Amino acid sequence: MKLVILGVGGMGAISLSKIIAQMSTTKGLSIRSSEIHGMAKKGGLVEVQMKIGEGKSGVVLQKSANFVLVLDEAYLGYGEAFLKDNRVGLIVLTNEDKRWVIDNLGDVRFSSALVLGRFVKYQDLFAKDDAIKALKEFKFFEKNTIAFERGLA
Amino acid sequence: MRLFLSGNEAIAFGLIEAGARFIVGYPGTPSSEVIPMAIEIKKKFGIRGYFDWSVNEKVAFEEATAASYAHIGSAVVMKQVGLNVAMDPFMNTAMTGAPSGLVVVVADDPGPHSSQTEQDSRFLAFFAKIPVLEPSTPKEAYEFSKRALHLSRDFEIPVMIRSTTRVSHSREDIEIGEIGGLEVNPHFVKDVDRFAATPHFRLILHKKLNEKIGRIKNLDWFSDFEKYFEGEILIVTSGVSFAYLYDIVKDNNLEDKIKLLRIRMPYPLDVEKLKGVIDKAGCKRVLVIEEGYPVLEMQLKTVMPSIDGRLSGLVSNEGELTIDKIGEILSKAGILNRKSCDFVAPPFKRPSLCPGCGHRSAFFVIKQVFRNSAIYTGDIGCYTLGLNLGAVDTVHCMGASVSFAFGFDKVFSLFGKSDQVVVATIGDSTFFHSGITALIDAVHNNSKLILVILDNSTVAMTGNQTTPANEYSQTGEKTKPIEIERVVEALGVEFLRVRDAYDIDGMIEDLKSAKDFVLNSKSPAVLIFRHPCVYSGEGLKNNVRFKDVYIDKELCTGCKVCVKQFECPSLIFDENKEKVFIDVVTCIKCGQCVKSCPFDAIKVEQ
Ligand code: SF4
Ligand code: SF4
Repeated sequence: MKLVILGVGGMGAISLSKIIAQMSTTKGLSIRSSEIHGMAKKGGLVEVQMKIGEGKSGVVLQKSANFVLVLDEAYLGYGEAFLKDNRVGLIVLTNEDKRWVIDNLGDVRFSSALVLGRFVKYQDLFAKDDAIKALKEFKFFEKNTIAFERGLA
Repeated sequence: MRLFLSGNEAIAFGLIEAGARFIVGYPGTPSSEVIPMAIEIKKKFGIRGYFDWSVNEKVAFEEATAASYAHIGSAVVMKQVGLNVAMDPFMNTAMTGAPSGLVVVVADDPGPHSSQTEQDSRFLAFFAKIPVLEPSTPKEAYEFSKRALHLSRDFEIPVMIRSTTRVSHSREDIEIGEIGGLEVNPHFVKDVDRFAATPHFRLILHKKLNEKIGRIKNLDWFSDFEKYFEGEILIVTSGVSFAYLYDIVKDNNLEDKIKLLRIRMPYPLDVEKLKGVIDKAGCKRVLVIEEGYPVLEMQLKTVMPSIDGRLSGLVSNEGELTIDKIGEILSKAGILNRKSCDFVAPPFKRPSLCPGCGHRSAFFVIKQVFRNSAIYTGDIGCYTLGLNLGAVDTVHCMGASVSFAFGFDKVFSLFGKSDQVVVATIGDSTFFHSGITALIDAVHNNSKLILVILDNSTVAMTGNQTTPANEYSQTGEKTKPIEIERVVEALGVEFLRVRDAYDIDGMIEDLKSAKDFVLNSKSPAVLIFRHPCVYSGEGLKNNVRFKDVYIDKELCTGCKVCVKQFECPSLIFDENKEKVFIDVVTCIKCGQCVKSCPFDAIKVEQ
């Protein structure tokens, strides 16, 4: 499976990739990723490309990803360019989602767990339990789970 | 133990597992994650060793060399431009050798993504006559690092690990071996002919170096070529380009078109052996695809003039060799049938200092005081982005803000334009790294430059590493903080002011006095504008925070003065309403923008 995560600095794109990696390793699948975050700290794009169970490099070409997770609407068009089949597999964190996360969980960072929920819902490689198990390995398990459930719903 | 590690983290694991107990360096993207991971490993596995930042790469290199002399497996870590700083000890350690092993980890930045140059460090390994290994994935970064330390120890020669941004910043699940259980016995066997060699003995050392490199050249594993696929076109490759090529072949079913020959050690390269393998393969065409300079190609070309690559114009001579670019090259060579490139680029967002950054307030004030009359020499770090406020005219290399200011001031003063003001800006860490020496020159040789040290007490640009001014080192150990003001005073600087960078009126006063001072004297004025980095957890927690900062829509005229001159990314111009609003998600409510509005439209609520 090829997937791409797009976000801006501080949105949790990197942590999201680590959670997905954890899920893959637990399942015994190889996992490779490539991060691009040159000036991310300065408000720029954070891009994580991942290959699960395939490849030598973690790089994903445009028009070849099975899933694209977009954590910032500004990168919607860029995200679409990675999709293998037009519009299939595009998972977007809307500003409305972000508001919900800030209002209910206090920190926009938990948005990444919401996106994880949506991702788990739309594919069949990983089940809900795989994600919960992986989330346990990371900080803020409870808040992350709340956001995750929201995404899954 | 199976871990999901970045290339840099994997290097830390590899080095420590192989016995490195002394790892130092200086932060620089894309190399910065090696040392923090080494420190984490040390804590987690309870091993003894010294893993920490040094003041600059030259010092780091020398410290690590001495550790190797004392029979401790060592490593030194830096980005490509850092190796330029460490060139002197680098060349010398190649000569004297490293008795207990010294791995030189260098991360190159093709692109460049966050560097001033786009150089290929393999060339410098060639230049110093030391072996260089080139991993293509994080897993290999781990394995090659272990190999590198063993090779270095066996031959008492420094060995380079050359990484690139894509290897350093990729992640992969890696099975890590056993860590710990190492007997360390530091001792130093004196040998002045080697460790304090005079020119006569240097000649002998050079001869020995040549012999070592001659033996390493055809060493098993290192000089072996990995072969993949059975096509008619042979591609000689190494590093991350190999991983890309492998994936392209697999994804496009080119197994019967391409044959890959992967090189692990680009220098020293046994070209005769390589030629033999290529001849035997009997392919009709030979290409060389490698990230950086034509290091393999130039060596191979001496025995196979007909090869194709950078030297023949097939591969571009600058820029990163991305997987897309390699795809294009293969299409150009008629191997891959690829539709015309319709790569969609991400929307461009200009990098900017963080909302609430003290540097911004300092630059804003500098610009208010000197307008366009001063020459602004900048330096390397977050504060390079003073560019956006029009208060940076030059950015060159670490510490050059001070020496550039010196040079400008000297020529203007000498040729009758002594009222030209030159303002240099430098960060605290960069000042320690290479600003101090230039300031010595300025004081000693009567330069009337104005130097503003922007002190945020961290190496912010590369991820908030510690600096010599901190009370604790990266490892959490108590250190002796070096006070910048005392250093400046000790150098004999007569005008020194220290100010919080959030004190806008105070800074204006300081800069005006500094201007008066330099125009009436022959010595530099130094100002330290200090404010903790708001990107660090501590800095943000302790920062001024108003209940609210907002725009009074009645008063805002939409002149955009705040957006243009203060340039906080949280100030956003609403094109429809023709007024500014504050983005509540990113604003840290510091209130620093208030003074930038000529109409008092930016309000704070206590
Ligand atoms: S807030 Fe002030 S400076 Fe900014 S656009 Fe409005 S009037 Fe101009
Ligand atoms: S208060 Fe003003 S300067 Fe501070 S972060 Fe918010 S918009 Fe930027």
